[in-house]
Amino acid sequence: MAILEIKHVSKFFGGLAANSDVSFEMSEGMIMGLIGPNGAGKTTLFNCITGYYPPSKGEVIFDGRRMNGLQPDAVCKLGMARTWQKVRPLAKMTVVDNVMVGALCRTNSLKKARELAMEQVRVVRLDHRADFLAGGLPIGERKKLEVARVLATQPKLLLLDEVMGGLNPAESEEIIRLILDIRKLGITQMVIEHDMKAIMRISDRIVVLNSGEKLAEGEPQEIVSNPDVIAAYLGSE
Amino acid sequence: MIPTNPLHSQRGASAVQVSLGMAVIAALFAFPQFVESPYVLHMMILFFLSTLMGQSWNIIGGYTGQYSVGHAAYFGTGAYSTMILLTTKEIAPWYGMWVGIAASVVLALIIGSICFRLRGPYFVLASIAVAEIVRGTALNLTDLTKGAEGILLTDMPAFKIGQTVITDFSSKVPYYYIALVLALMIIAVTWLVQNSKLGYYFQAIREDQDAAHSLGINLTFWKNSALVISAAFTSLAGSFYAIFVKFIDPSTVLPLDLSVQIVLISIIGGIGTIFGPVIGSLVLVPLSEALRSNAIAQGLINSGLVSEESGIGIFLKEHLAHAHVLIYGILVVVVILFMPDGVLGYFRKMTAKKKRGEA
Repeated sequence: MAILEIKHVSKFFGGLAANSDVSFEMSEGMIMGLIGPNGAGKTTLFNCITGYYPPSKGEVIFDGRRMNGLQPDAVCKLGMARTWQKVRPLAKMTVVDNVMVGALCRTNSLKKARELAMEQVRVVRLDHRADFLAGGLPIGERKKLEVARVLATQPKLLLLDEVMGGLNPAESEEIIRLILDIRKLGITQMVIEHDMKAIMRISDRIVVLNSGEKLAEGEPQEIVSNPDVIAAYLGSE
Repeated sequence: MIPTNPLHSQRGASAVQVSLGMAVIAALFAFPQFVESPYVLHMMILFFLSTLMGQSWNIIGGYTGQYSVGHAAYFGTGAYSTMILLTTKEIAPWYGMWVGIAASVVLALIIGSICFRLRGPYFVLASIAVAEIVRGTALNLTDLTKGAEGILLTDMPAFKIGQTVITDFSSKVPYYYIALVLALMIIAVTWLVQNSKLGYYFQAIREDQDAAHSLGINLTFWKNSALVISAAFTSLAGSFYAIFVKFIDPSTVLPLDLSVQIVLISIIGGIGTIFGPVIGSLVLVPLSEALRSNAIAQGLINSGLVSEESGIGIFLKEHLAHAHVLIYGILVVVVILFMPDGVLGYFRKMTAKKKRGEA
């Protein structure tokens, strides 16, 4: 059964269509890559799915439930969590406190939340930073903190918005390993990424957006050989 | 070097800290047995009251990051509810204050549901506007509030349990103890908030509202919760002020001035910390008293720095007492420039530096 169904989703800002008539499905446990040139509407689609914008048209169905009109906090409680392209650490709180905020979504006990948080901090390998202020972390560790924090909300579906953006190759490699580890935990993931090599390696399927529309969908091998996709990225002759 | 959390080391208070705290509390309770001067007791009461106001604001402003500059509205609501019930219906203030709290909570929910749609400076402006509306209402609702004439309390009822009179409020001492208990209570409440889910959610909202929202935090609900707690205790401070000073009018319990002062207590001491408002009160209460009693001008003259007959001496004597707003302004500029984390944050940083230097 599909864990997420996007049905004819459109989002207009004034007269501009940031997304128009996008449809696809995700099955449980898979990693879906979401790619496209700058301004293709990838982040807008994330925002429509997670409740930051109501879609202008169409439906988002998560776990059999219609999500339109739900606020981001309600979306998170139902088991769908997202990270931000521009990281948003809670700067004056420690790493473990940041992750605890996520964990408190599922428990009211600080003690329980701290245990859950430490678990996630270890998953992303930030245990040596647990008591450091989040605002002082370098970018690579901030990205990991983002992931730990959303993992602590115990999502069924995770939406990662450019978690490798701005990282060096070694750091990107760590994130790739992390994404594959998360898959082993049984969590479904949708990943926006610009690094083509990375996205080809981790994705089970890929959706390509261009100018707000779905240009192609398929397995990584089909996508790289799709003439439309090549034209969108490199320009047509 | 990545800074560690300066608050982290004090999460579990050490035995020394706990016993020191207990000693201070015991000393404060014993204080009126040794000091009889009504003036000193009066100053202590103002200090406790200031701590109560500053700490109440700290919950919404310091922890949750919503800079309400309209807290006079809750202070005035508490003061007026208590005073009107007492003077017209002879309802004792220890019952009247609950009405004040209830009224303030309702007011907070109305203000919150309107103003929390706004963020940052827009929220600040909205909070000022709403408080000014409340002041205007009190000024013009003369049947209930007597408007600009104000309400004077002539008969303070004695506090009795059964037939035994506990106190008839003839001295400052009962007020001292009430204010002390209120101040300790708000400190305890802040501690409880900081060490619970509320504290985490409030601080998450302060640090980044969108991130907080995406982590399952219902922004409207939690911001309103913080405001309600804050408003309830600010209202309590107003109720206490009314029966302590025995006279209220819109220009003493509802002005914008008061809203700004409430904010300054926390900002000067250090926002989002348990002891910030205490430190802020330690700075502001003596300062405002020194200005009011003209002690600063007199001190300058007595020390021989300024001659009493000189133009400057005469000018200072005449005008310095009225310049408290100016002095506060300068103080705020100095604090923001040199101690952006308040006096408490500044000293923490200094001690941390010293420790590193020695190590």
